[in-house]
Amino acid sequence: MKSLLYILLIPLLSYAQEFVVVMQKNSALGNLSQAKVKMIFLKKQKMSQDILLVPINLPPSSSIRKSFEKQVLGMSRNRLKSFWTKEHYLGHRPPLTMKSSRSTLSFVEKIDGAIGYIPAKEVNANLKILYKWKSK
Amino acid sequence: MKIVFIILLLLHSLLAAEYEESNDYVLGEGMQVGSMPLYVGGYLSADYTNIEDTGLNQLRADDIAFLAYGSADKFSYMAELEFKEFYVKQWINGTSTTQKNTKLHIERLYLDYNFNENFVLRGGKFNSPIGYWNMIPINVLRDTSSNPLVNSMIYPKYTTGLDLSYSSYGDAEIKVDMLVQNNKDFDDDYNNLKVDKHYALGVEYTDNDLSLKYNGGYFHTVDPLVSDKNLYYSLIALKYDTDKYKIMGELGTQFDKSHSVVPYSGYIEGLYRITPKHLPTIRFESYESKSFGQTQKDSFLVLGYTYRPVYPVAFKAEYQMHQEDAQNKTILSFSVLF
Repeated sequence: MKSLLYILLIPLLSYAQEFVVVMQKNSALGNLSQAKVKMIFLKKQKMSQDILLVPINLPPSSSIRKSFEKQVLGMSRNRLKSFWTKEHYLGHRPPLTMKSSRSTLSFVEKIDGAIGYIPAKEVNANLKILYKWKSK
Repeated sequence: MKIVFIILLLLHSLLAAEYEESNDYVLGEGMQVGSMPLYVGGYLSADYTNIEDTGLNQLRADDIAFLAYGSADKFSYMAELEFKEFYVKQWINGTSTTQKNTKLHIERLYLDYNFNENFVLRGGKFNSPIGYWNMIPINVLRDTSSNPLVNSMIYPKYTTGLDLSYSSYGDAEIKVDMLVQNNKDFDDDYNNLKVDKHYALGVEYTDNDLSLKYNGGYFHTVDPLVSDKNLYYSLIALKYDTDKYKIMGELGTQFDKSHSVVPYSGYIEGLYRITPKHLPTIRFESYESKSFGQTQKDSFLVLGYTYRPVYPVAFKAEYQMHQEDAQNKTILSFSVLF
């Protein structure tokens, strides 16, 4: 009975949710590499052609943000904290924070240059997918 | 009274740090003024030094600085005003002296214009984009209370002029800086070298945790001690920074048209993050200088330990062991960025 239970649970446990980095459908950016996403969210790359980029974060407690920081940025929360403290001295601000993936989606749809990450299942026809990753 | 005020400010900073998760204000990231493109913040630093060989003891309230910055469309700006060595008390052989410096210096004042994703033009007074240490030189953000000597021996730390930077973003980042100064400093009391000309080129390559950098340049001094000198410099730097440890090194040389003024000055440093709060550091430095017709050389080891209750607050202790100079010393410091 226990073995049967484990067999039934394995697909659930190994289920990995898919997330995407998105911009407006008409944005000039195409598929991005992980390194490029990192440069945009660390605000090293501030523009795409002539448009100012506006990266959007989810709240610190968000599991999507935790996955994004670990798997896409490849940085621990503490290292990011020290990074943004140094950037404050250099006159740079961390990304804006939206309360939910729904508000991120709405912001990205309306603002030129806005770029955010949301669950893949929430993508609609107004958005362009630039990068995908699966939670581990 | 000023000391009491500084201590109260420090306590306030620590208390604010405790509550950072429950407020919009985050210690170490400044705060916005209304909804304007204006963020304000600042930092301060106090240290105690004991030099064994000379018996000198020194207590300083060193950096007390205010930052204001912001951006609008393709423009951004930064202003930094600072009291340098605001209060210095020294004791040696039973006598003491006290100095107070209340002049507010312009440390940085510049405007940036982003042409596009590749080109940015900066005009004003700024940290010369040379090496890694000079980019983040304030006590609270650096790894030890002391600065490596290469940071003050080889090149002007600040430039008052223009810097055109080009960045290319592929899987790795390549950045090229071209800077020009053809005038006096905004505030030449606040620079390691008084210069009226500075032309330099820098190339930096960053691939994830690894960065490499080369800088080369020329400057003309107007310092009364070394007036009318045309000097050239060259510096290579390396940084490998991961979640757990950091290795950083810089090696520079300075020369004029006929001979070497500083044949070499450099350091290699390792920092290990036991936890984000506990950070031991070890640095080896060495230099040879032939300034003013005298040859000076030394090699020394710096053993440091930093405790950060939160990242923007640092308590540091270090001990320096010198091979040649009578400069074995202990430095304790407290610093905070707000």
